[in-house]
Amino acid sequence: MGRIFTVELEGRSYRCRFCRTHLALPDDLISKSFHCRRGKAYLFNRSVNISMGPLEERMMLSGMHTVADIYCCCCGQNVGWKYESAHEKDQKYKEGKFVLERGRIVDETSTEGCVDDTRSDTEDS
Amino acid sequence: MGVVEETEPPSKRAKLLADEPNGNSSVRVSRSSVTNNNSLGDLMARPLTTSSSQGRDDDDETTTIGSKGVIRKSEFVRIITRALYSLGYGKTGAMLEEESGIPMHRSVVKAFLQQVKEGKWDESVVTLHRIGLVDDKTVKSASFLLLEQKFLELLRFDKIADALGTLRDEIVPLRVNTKRVHELASSLITPSKFVANGKGKESVSSRSKVLEELQKLLPASVMVPEKRLECLVESSLHIQRDSCVYHNTLDSDLSLFSDHQCGKHQIPSRTLQVLESHTDEVWFLQFSHNGKYLASSSKDQTAIIWEINADGHFSLKHKLVGHQKPVTAILWSPDDRQVLTCGAEEAIRRWDVDSGDCIHMYEKGGGIGPISCGWYSDGQGIIAGMTDRSICMWDLDGREMECWKGQRTQKVSDIAMTDDGKWLVSVCKGSVISLFDREATVERLIEEEDMITSFSLSDDNKHLLVNLQNQEIRLWNIEGDDDPKIVMRYKGHKRSRFLIRSCFGGYQQAFIASGSEDSQVYIWHRSTGKLIIELPGHAGAVNCVSWSPTNLHMLASASDDGTLRIWGLDRINPQSQKKKQVQPSSSNGVLHRCNGN
Repeated sequence: MGRIFTVELEGRSYRCRFCRTHLALPDDLISKSFHCRRGKAYLFNRSVNISMGPLEERMMLSGMHTVADIYCCCCGQNVGWKYESAHEKDQKYKEGKFVLERGRIVDETSTEGCVDDTRSDTEDS
Repeated sequence: MGVVEETEPPSKRAKLLADEPNGNSSVRVSRSSVTNNNSLGDLMARPLTTSSSQGRDDDDETTTIGSKGVIRKSEFVRIITRALYSLGYGKTGAMLEEESGIPMHRSVVKAFLQQVKEGKWDESVVTLHRIGLVDDKTVKSASFLLLEQKFLELLRFDKIADALGTLRDEIVPLRVNTKRVHELASSLITPSKFVANGKGKESVSSRSKVLEELQKLLPASVMVPEKRLECLVESSLHIQRDSCVYHNTLDSDLSLFSDHQCGKHQIPSRTLQVLESHTDEVWFLQFSHNGKYLASSSKDQTAIIWEINADGHFSLKHKLVGHQKPVTAILWSPDDRQVLTCGAEEAIRRWDVDSGDCIHMYEKGGGIGPISCGWYSDGQGIIAGMTDRSICMWDLDGREMECWKGQRTQKVSDIAMTDDGKWLVSVCKGSVISLFDREATVERLIEEEDMITSFSLSDDNKHLLVNLQNQEIRLWNIEGDDDPKIVMRYKGHKRSRFLIRSCFGGYQQAFIASGSEDSQVYIWHRSTGKLIIELPGHAGAVNCVSWSPTNLHMLASASDDGTLRIWGLDRINPQSQKKKQVQPSSSNGVLHRCNGN
């Protein structure tokens, strides 16, 4: 739909598993120990080539947060979510940051990109 | 206007006018400050014909007309008289002078001008002193003009001795313009050289030149400047036009009959025509420079050239088939006889507009394809931004002239050359635009706060419209060689995934138009940044807009719904504009989030 505008990231980057659109740089990786229903997830400072869904209140493992699901702008696949605001003080560091699910991204230069994503298609939490 | 019957001599004329019907008191101006000539007021009011039975002496310096009491009646009548004479209505002019009792020029000034026309220089110098100018310098400069002309005429008739006499006894004592005096003196010695230099002109025509020079020299109240009335009216029109916010009318449509005020109804707001010949999303469109054609390019791998006939109806002229990939852009050559199309990451093709044939194809091997392209300002070359982040330049026959690599971190998504050939504008880093001076080989940078998706140059090459990823459009001033400066920001449209383009348009490009992902066309007022109107109608994201360079009231838009829409004025019901903006958008501007097709 339309002429999709994408940005390219230099060198090694995390890309959308389905269409290989660049999503985030390793330099922006903050934490590898996030989780979602489908498995592991990474927290990033910045992410590109994504479009945001509507904001909603969601109860995560760490408490109530205002989040928005993020989608790859090329193929539209849900690749993670963005923290808009956190209700608890010690979770504030997440605000404005992006979580990309491990099962939805590939790391271009590493061979670790073949995590099986045969988990059930349940909602993120 | 108060009419004052006066029998006293002018020097004792009273200034009061008791019965101003409009209620405003007359301008009480002391005589000396009315004009810069003290004695002027005395002589001003003398009527031309004393035999007139009407005997109206209402030409007192202080009579005013008009509701605000700022227009002096005598001045007003005099400039009208001047205008009548300029238009060639001498009889009417004379009649006006007689009937109003306000002579355009005082009798002494009239006599002076007559003497100048007839070449009676000595008398004119005498009369000049009688006019009573305050500024001595002016008197001297004017005398100089007269005597210089006398000198030249004497010289022309070979009366050398007299000329010398004039120079020595009359011109030199003035002690002005000594350089010219020396020139005149040298002309006595070598008259032929003087004439050859073109200084010894036909005496008659140079007398009118003297009059012109005198007019510039003498104060306006002594000698009414020619075209003064026209000048006043023009400046009034200018002011009205400049204060008209949505001004979108040709100068030739400005009328004197009422104050000019464009409403929003001068902005295109109604769909005139829907062009449906493409079979997939339309990504780009552009009017030709002469406004006679429109070119559009589409994801359906074709481009179309549309012709506009006399009543503004569009019809398909040629369908340009040949690309094997979506066509991302179609650009007109400077002479509008050819177009360039860019197949996404495939090749660039050059087509002839008349025949619709593809004349040449430009590609680079090795899997490198063009992302964006442009014409050289002289139409003799092609520039392209390639997938390997280089910029390539070819001549028309396909020979690669240059290829610049390196330093760019993104594929060059947009590239253009200003039509004076000076700058090469390209997106060099995600949020940086490079302005490269081709001659001086220096580069200026525009550093933006967010990723740049596209840009657009103004016709005068002085401004650049930059579309950002964060849904803002910014106007930069790129004039001269200084650092570019931000001038204005435009917001309101929607963009989150696609490459949306915007453009300049309207009277003197005073408006900015843009596409949007909510299927509407947005139009802002350029200098204030105010959103004027949103135009619903398309059924998909509007990717590109183009405003006709020759028809101020025509705009075209290209959309994902596969159509082009031509927008024009809503002549039927201008009032409905207000309603249109208040209602929420009626289009199905749903943001597509599912797997895109």
